[in-house]
Amino acid sequence: MKRFYALIQPFLEFCGALGRRLHFLVTSLVLVPSALARPRQFIEQLFYVGSVSFILIAVGGLFVGLVLALQFYTALSRFGATSSLGGLVTLALLRELGPVLTALLFAGRAGTSLASELGLMRATRQIDAMEVMAVDPMRRVVAPRFLAGILAMPLLAAIFSAMGVLGAYLIGIKMMGLDPGVFWSSMRHEVRFHSDFVNGMIKSLIFGVACSLISLYEGYHARPTAEGVGQATTRSVVISSMAILALDFLLTSFMY
Amino acid sequence: MTIPVPPRPLTGTRDLAQPTGPSAIRVQDVHFGYGSRLVFSGLNLTVPEGQITAILGPSGSGKSTLIELMTGQKKALRGQIEVGDEEVGVLSRRALFRLRRRMGVLFQDGALFTDLSVFENVAFPVREHTRLAEALIHHLVLMKLEAVGLRGAHSLYPSQLSGGMARRVALARSIVLDPLIMFYDEPLVGLDPIAMGMILRLIVHLNRSLGITSLIVSHDVSEMLEVADWCYLIAEGCVQGAGPPASIREMKSPWVRQFVSGGAEGPVPFHYPSRNYADDLFGKVRSA
Repeated sequence: MKRFYALIQPFLEFCGALGRRLHFLVTSLVLVPSALARPRQFIEQLFYVGSVSFILIAVGGLFVGLVLALQFYTALSRFGATSSLGGLVTLALLRELGPVLTALLFAGRAGTSLASELGLMRATRQIDAMEVMAVDPMRRVVAPRFLAGILAMPLLAAIFSAMGVLGAYLIGIKMMGLDPGVFWSSMRHEVRFHSDFVNGMIKSLIFGVACSLISLYEGYHARPTAEGVGQATTRSVVISSMAILALDFLLTSFMY
Repeated sequence: MTIPVPPRPLTGTRDLAQPTGPSAIRVQDVHFGYGSRLVFSGLNLTVPEGQITAILGPSGSGKSTLIELMTGQKKALRGQIEVGDEEVGVLSRRALFRLRRRMGVLFQDGALFTDLSVFENVAFPVREHTRLAEALIHHLVLMKLEAVGLRGAHSLYPSQLSGGMARRVALARSIVLDPLIMFYDEPLVGLDPIAMGMILRLIVHLNRSLGITSLIVSHDVSEMLEVADWCYLIAEGCVQGAGPPASIREMKSPWVRQFVSGGAEGPVPFHYPSRNYADDLFGKVRSA
């Protein structure tokens, strides 16, 4: 019996961890309306989550656009199809690179910030203080941050893609001398609003749920020590990154 | 869950004195532990209403845990804790929150919200639980800060406060909604004599003027014997001595006498159990 228990223990632990995360997700989702009822806190968090990632996302998007345009231009010029550069870069950004790279950068910047903030609140007993003051920390602390994370992600992904297109414009038109009309018309011709833009935003929204949930969960349940907060922060990046890549595969296989 | 065998009490608990008059909190046969380590094994005590009760005991005796059990942050493995007419362990989260609105807790390290100013920290419970006008909140918060002598520090942030100041802000926050029961977790740790005297005077003043039931957890024996109306000495998982301060000073129990006098020799060991000192020093060197 002991051997059997030892065999299934990892599975039971996995189920327990999954159950706790699902419970956290459901509780956070249920409390979203209460976060909307306190717009000041929610807007503060949206500003904070967005502002800490903005520069990273904007610069990241610009450089990804620059590199993509260079690579695509080289490949397309072999077939004399450089006129498709604008459409191709925009498609890559809207469908995949925008949502995925934004989410990865968000997990590394805003996600770690959320996890360490909550972990520190746990370690310094601020969450306990709320509990004994009869204030629900899930409602007061987690829900506004969760909602802010969900809404910030599509906005940041849109900024990432826009900066990427700007990067492609600089390479294609300013550096390689492509005709601007050809560049923009290729983009308008290739990109579909629903299948490309909306699906990309849906992906971002789902990545926002996953990233915010994982970061907040890890921070909220951090061991109340310096080491515990550090570990929670690291775990939030690792788990978020893996979740984003796995979810991207699933979503792509359903959407396209 | 199996409960480990409790250690034998150093003195019996049945013959201990009990406070007379109405009680605010009743702890009956409480068992609690962390993993295999048992903290309480049949703890019984009563906190008299409207008085200052001191819970004294050495470090690690479970004094702070007792507050966590009374406020419902932790649940006892066995036994009952009644606050007023309500049994804490069986309350729903909503009912527990309703009960906690009648309580105030001063944490050992203050537990101030680091992203809020002193003013906003004190205003926090008011904003969360009432719909008072901003002008009224302003007056209320400044009155409480004046009571702890920190009205002038209302715009500072916790990182700009000393340990004693942070403790006083936390005290102002915990009394801002005029609780019926106040829990003080080691309120004197790390304070200079002036701040210590100030905090003690505040505790007594709050108790005498508002009739608040006060429970202080501490190991500062002499200070507690000065201000408390009733004292409990806990160790080894249960109550080792109980009574008003005068009777605690007179107790014959070797444990109580050693604890009150701060003696190194007696039934309370200073050293953690270990093997022979000479063997450790000159025996085979073992890797850590």
